[in-house]
Amino acid sequence: MRTKKLVTAAVIASVYAVATIAVAPLSYGLMQIRISEALTILPMFTPAAIPGLFIGCLIANIISPIGLVDVVLGSLATLLAAYGSYKFRKHKWLVPLPPIIANGVVIGWMLYYIYGVDVSLMACMLWVAGGEAVACYGIGMPLIMALDKRKEMFK
Amino acid sequence: MIRDITLGQYFPGNSKVHKLDARTKIIATIMFIVELFIVNNFYGFALATATMFMIIKVSKVPVRFMVKGLKPIFIIIIFTFVINVFMVDGTILFHWKFITISYEGLYRAFFMAARLILLILGSSILTLTTKPLSLTDGIEKLLRPLNKIGLPSHEIAMMMTIALRFIPTLLEETDKIMKAQQARGADFESGSVIHRAKSLIPILVPLFISAFRIAQDLAMAMEARCYKGGKGRTRMNEIKFTRSDIYASVFLAAFLAMIIGTRYI
Amino acid sequence: MSIEVKNINHIYAEGLPFETVALNDISFNIDDGKFVGIIGHTGSGKSTLLQHLNGLLKPKSGSITVDGVDITAPGKKMTEIRKKVGLVFQYPEYQLFEETVEKDVAFGPKNLGMQGEELEATVKEAIELVGLDFEEIKERSPFDLSGGQKRRVAIAGVIAMKPKILILDEPTAGLDPKAHRELLSTIKKLHKNEKLTILFVSHNMDDIMEMADSVMVLENGTLVMNDSPERVFSRWEELEKIGLNVPQITELMKKLEKKDSSIEGNVFDMEKAASIIKNYINSKESKAQND
Repeated sequence: MRTKKLVTAAVIASVYAVATIAVAPLSYGLMQIRISEALTILPMFTPAAIPGLFIGCLIANIISPIGLVDVVLGSLATLLAAYGSYKFRKHKWLVPLPPIIANGVVIGWMLYYIYGVDVSLMACMLWVAGGEAVACYGIGMPLIMALDKRKEMFK
Repeated sequence: MIRDITLGQYFPGNSKVHKLDARTKIIATIMFIVELFIVNNFYGFALATATMFMIIKVSKVPVRFMVKGLKPIFIIIIFTFVINVFMVDGTILFHWKFITISYEGLYRAFFMAARLILLILGSSILTLTTKPLSLTDGIEKLLRPLNKIGLPSHEIAMMMTIALRFIPTLLEETDKIMKAQQARGADFESGSVIHRAKSLIPILVPLFISAFRIAQDLAMAMEARCYKGGKGRTRMNEIKFTRSDIYASVFLAAFLAMIIGTRYI
Repeated sequence: MSIEVKNINHIYAEGLPFETVALNDISFNIDDGKFVGIIGHTGSGKSTLLQHLNGLLKPKSGSITVDGVDITAPGKKMTEIRKKVGLVFQYPEYQLFEETVEKDVAFGPKNLGMQGEELEATVKEAIELVGLDFEEIKERSPFDLSGGQKRRVAIAGVIAMKPKILILDEPTAGLDPKAHRELLSTIKKLHKNEKLTILFVSHNMDDIMEMADSVMVLENGTLVMNDSPERVFSRWEELEKIGLNVPQITELMKKLEKKDSSIEGNVFDMEKAASIIKNYINSKESKAQND
C-alpha cells in the first residue's frame, strides 16, 4: 500500500512539473502564472498529493534557472498550502484558499526582497495572490467539480 | 511543441565527469549555482564561463545536447534581457521618444542573461552525466542525516526519480491529448480567460487518468519485484568516493576561492 | 477530387541542431469515397502526414486542398477544416473525459456550434453508427466501459462532427480479435453507408488488403509507393527492405513460389491461394501416379 502512495505522489509531482513546464516562460519569475497551481486542489482527493505537490514544485523550480530561491521557499510554501488544503478537504470552496495565501505571502516577499521588484511589499503579495487566485479558483474549481464526479480514480 | 527538455535525460558516456560520485556532482552543482549569485562582475563571469566550458569539454557531451536544454528557457532569457535593457534607470545611452536605454540597463541585461544561461548549463551537466538512479542514490545519501528529524530521505529521493522519469512521458501524453481534442474542435487559444480556463478540463482530466493509470501499473510492477521501501534496501553498485572525487573537490574549493576573489578585483 | 496534396514538406526543429525532415516533397490525390490504406514503419512520417490533413500541422511548403478549399492558406479558420476532416488518433479512448458517454460524444459537435435538438440527434446517430446501444450507454461513464466500447465511443465522438473525410490512425491497435473484427466491420459499414472517404493507417496488412482501394507507402518521410493493394504487395522484397511485411497469405504464397516457381506468388486472398495449392498438390499427385 505504501508503494502505491509513493508512486501516486511521484506521478502527481510529474503532472505538476509538466503543467508548469508546458506554460513556460509564463510560469516563472515575475509573472508566476501557473496552470499547475490549479492542481493544488488535489489534496482534497488524496493525501498523497501533499508530498506530491511539494516535490512537483521542487522539480519545476530546479529546472528553472530563475527558480533557485524559488526552489526552497516556493516549494515549502506549496507544502504548507497542500497541507492546508488537505485540512479543508471537506469544504469545497475553501480548498483553494491555502495556496493563495501561502504563495501570496511567501513569493510576494521573495519578489520584493530578492528580485528587487520596484513596488511595495503589499503590492507584490497581492499581485502573486491574484495570479494564484485566478489559477486556483478559475481553473481549480472547475477541476474540483470534474474530478469530484470521478472520485474512483483516486483509489 | 514543448517536448525537448534535457532534464532527467542522461547522455551515456565514460568521461571523468560521468565517473564522479553523484554526491560530488550534486554538491558541485549547488555550489556553482550559489557562486553564480556571488559573482558580481565581468571577471567572475569570465571565470565561471571558462570553467563551465572546460567541464563540458571533459564530459564529452556534444554541445548540441546542451543547447537543447536552453531551448525552453530561451524566451525567459530574452524576456529578462528586454526587461532589464528597457526598465533599468541610469546613465542614458540611447533615448528615443519613450524608449530609454541606460548603460546600467544594458550591463544588467547581459549580466542576468549570462547568469541564466550558466545556471541552466550547470544544472544540465548534472542530469546529463549522472544516471537517474545514481542521482537518487546521491540525494538519498546526502539527505540521510535528516532522517533523524523524521525526513524520509529514501522515499523523497524515490519520488523525485520517478517524477523526473515520467516528465517526458507525460509531456508527450499532454501533447497527444491536446491534439486529439483540437481535432474535435477544441480551442485553447482564443476566447475569454474563463473560456480558456474551462477549455483546460478536456486536457487535465484525461491527463490525470493517464497519470493515475501509470501510477497503478508502476506500483504493481514495483511490488511484484518485492519493493518494500528503503529499510534494509541494498544496492547493486554502492557509490563510493574515489580519487577523482578528491581531485574534483580540491578543484571545487579552489574555484570557490577564485570566484569570491573576483569580487575584490 | 476530395484531397489534393501538392509537394508538401515539413521539417521538425528547423534551424536547430536536431533538425529532421519529417515529410519530403509529398504529393498525392484522393478521390471522393475512396478507402486508402497508409503503411510505413514507425517514424516514417505517417502521423505527421495525418496531422497535416486536418490542419493540426502546417507544411513548410506545398499546398493541401480539401474539398476545393486550400487549407494551407494563411489565416484559414481551423473549425472549417475540422468540420470536413475527422481525425481519430491512436488509442483514442485516452481522450475521453466527460461524465457520460453522451456528453463526451457531444463535445466535438458542440465545439462546431451545434446545439439543442440537432445536437442530441447527431450524438444519438453517431453512437448507433459505431454499433452501440444509445439508450443503454448514454448515461454511463466512459470510464466504466470495456476497451472496445471506449474505443467506439471515442470514434463516435469524431463521427458526430459529420466529417466527409475520416482518418483513422491504427484504429484496431490493442484490441482483442473479436473487438478487432467488429471494429473493422463497423468501419466498412461507415464507408459504404455514409459514403465517407477513409484514410486508414495500419500495421496489419491483412486488414489493409481487405479494406483498401489503394495503398500509400511512406518511408522516412517520402511517399515511395501509391498504388492498388495488389500491386503494392507484390513488391515483397522492397517492402521487406523498408521493414514492412505483406498480407499473411501473400507471404506464404511468395515463400512457396520461391520453392517452386510454378506456384503463383502474387496472391492476396485465401480462396485463390487455396485453389492454387489444391491444384498444385493434385498435379503433383497425378504426376506421381503416372510415373
